[in-house]
Amino acid sequence: MSRFFHLLINEHMKLYIRKSTWIMYGLLAIIIVGLGLLSNTFTNDVEYDDNWRETLQEENEQLIKENEEFQENMANGDAEIYAGPNSHLIEKNNYYLENDIQPTPYDAWQFVMENEMLLSIVSLLTIIIAAGIVAHEFKWGTIKLLLIRPITRAKILLSKYVTVLLFAFYTLCFVLIFSWIVGALFFGVAGMSPHIVINQNGDFAQVSVLSEIMSGYGYKLINLVMMATFAFMISTIFRNSTIAIGLAIFLMMAGNSIVTFFADRAWAKYILFANTDLSQYADGNSPWIDDMTLQFSISVLVVYYIIFLALSWLFFTKRDVAGQ
Amino acid sequence: MTEQAMELINVRKQIGKKEIIKDLSFTIQKGEVFGFIGPNGAGKTTTIRMMVGLMKLTDGDVRILGKSIKTNYKEAIREVGAIVENPEMYPFMSGWRNLQHFSAMIPSITKERIEEVVRLVGLEKVITEKVGRYSLGMRQRLGIAQALLHKPSVLILDEPTNGLDPAGIREIRHYIRRLATEENVAVIISSHLLAEIEQMCDRIGIIKNGELITTQSVQDTMEQVDLQQVEMEVSPIEQAIDLLKEKHELNATEKDGTLHFQSTKEVIPVIIQTFVQHEIAIYQVGVSKTTLEDKFFDLIGENAIE
Repeated sequence: MSRFFHLLINEHMKLYIRKSTWIMYGLLAIIIVGLGLLSNTFTNDVEYDDNWRETLQEENEQLIKENEEFQENMANGDAEIYAGPNSHLIEKNNYYLENDIQPTPYDAWQFVMENEMLLSIVSLLTIIIAAGIVAHEFKWGTIKLLLIRPITRAKILLSKYVTVLLFAFYTLCFVLIFSWIVGALFFGVAGMSPHIVINQNGDFAQVSVLSEIMSGYGYKLINLVMMATFAFMISTIFRNSTIAIGLAIFLMMAGNSIVTFFADRAWAKYILFANTDLSQYADGNSPWIDDMTLQFSISVLVVYYIIFLALSWLFFTKRDVAGQ
Repeated sequence: MTEQAMELINVRKQIGKKEIIKDLSFTIQKGEVFGFIGPNGAGKTTTIRMMVGLMKLTDGDVRILGKSIKTNYKEAIREVGAIVENPEMYPFMSGWRNLQHFSAMIPSITKERIEEVVRLVGLEKVITEKVGRYSLGMRQRLGIAQALLHKPSVLILDEPTNGLDPAGIREIRHYIRRLATEENVAVIISSHLLAEIEQMCDRIGIIKNGELITTQSVQDTMEQVDLQQVEMEVSPIEQAIDLLKEKHELNATEKDGTLHFQSTKEVIPVIIQTFVQHEIAIYQVGVSKTTLEDKFFDLIGENAIE
């Protein structure tokens, strides 16, 4: 076990001694600061103090006026169908008023919540790491020195896989923490457990931002782990990081299109990408294909996951390391 | 000194339908430097890869201190230090970090041991520099350092003098000899630089087309050869060739304006006498011992890859 720990340290050393890894974190930091600047410019700085009810009503009046102007400008009947650009905001404000909830200002927590989309970039970076971690050893020729040690190949492979997962985990933490810090600097922090009102399937509801962050990031993590494992598998089978990065990123981008394309086939529900988004089973959402259930998706994911790992193991432990 | 360090038993390797290694068997004793030579494509590197478990054996077995590489891999490989082909290290890490990296994979290698090995191969001054900036010779030394970290019983070096300057070659040669005699390490050196083998090895094995043609001790090889290669600068050269044929029944050839022939040592003064009597001017006489190289080409025929 302690040997395995040493292997992990080795893999971390090789990963974090290289500048390219730190450039990844640098890029993430720049993107987060950029998003902070953008949000800072576009959010309204209305302070909801003790008179928040009046403020909201004033806001609504203003919004209704804007809507009416909009409808006047639309000279035909379409306007009646379309309630106007601000109806959503009005409804939201009404919800605050009806339920007597003081609106919370935009703060670090909400910024973190919105940065959930950055997980696609974390996925991308993890794929790059996963694709390289085995293939690079072959490219550098160091695989020969790595394998002629009193350690089984399976253990070496596992140490590399765990390192990939840990990289994803660190990067995720980095996004969360750095987003929160940037958010705190730009927007301040409104309490440790803020609640916001969001639109859930047409109805407004008050939810905890923390639980939103957890579920939002959590659902996306499944896709991240699956694609990283996939890239890791391709990397061990082909011993080439370019193929692994290319295939994994292509599939990550095209995943939904692939499912849509084959949606009418009976086997479409067995496609990995039809199952990676488990939020399709969350309240009120409808799954890709009607007869799919949460249990079904989890089973499919587990089967794919085991196949990915089994193939990596098989190719890494059984195949000869021949000359280039 | 007669304890077996490594044993190859009927080793075969087949890739697809092609048989790359055919029934290879030999043993290496402790404290012995074994030269593994053969032309390119003969199967040297494949054999070495099988010895260290990078390639699976189709048939047969490799035993290191009696432990099978097939069934007892961890125990067997613990006794082996090796460089396979080029000494490739992580170019973005310092020499020290590289050694640290590999020592972490084997139990109980202390910092002192790493320092000791670095001193042994003479890399103290550059050990903190990135390997990417090393010359080939420095990488070769680092490769040897890496192979020695865990004090192996068997040291396998693939072309160890590749890229070293003459001083470096001498140093490594000296060092390998010392390892064998003082620490009783069995050293296996593959090479096609035969002059190297001659000076470093106790025994050589010659491989061709995946078959071991012969193994013999370097001492024997030297004794077997009593014919010497003689080179003479004489004038007129044609007359000299005729004279050698007439008087001594020797077939001489002219190459680059000098005379070449083979004879035993005792005949040389007689030949010179003959030349002097026939008023042939002799400018220079040179004798070279028949080298292993000639022997090598005798054994393998031409350097053809089949």
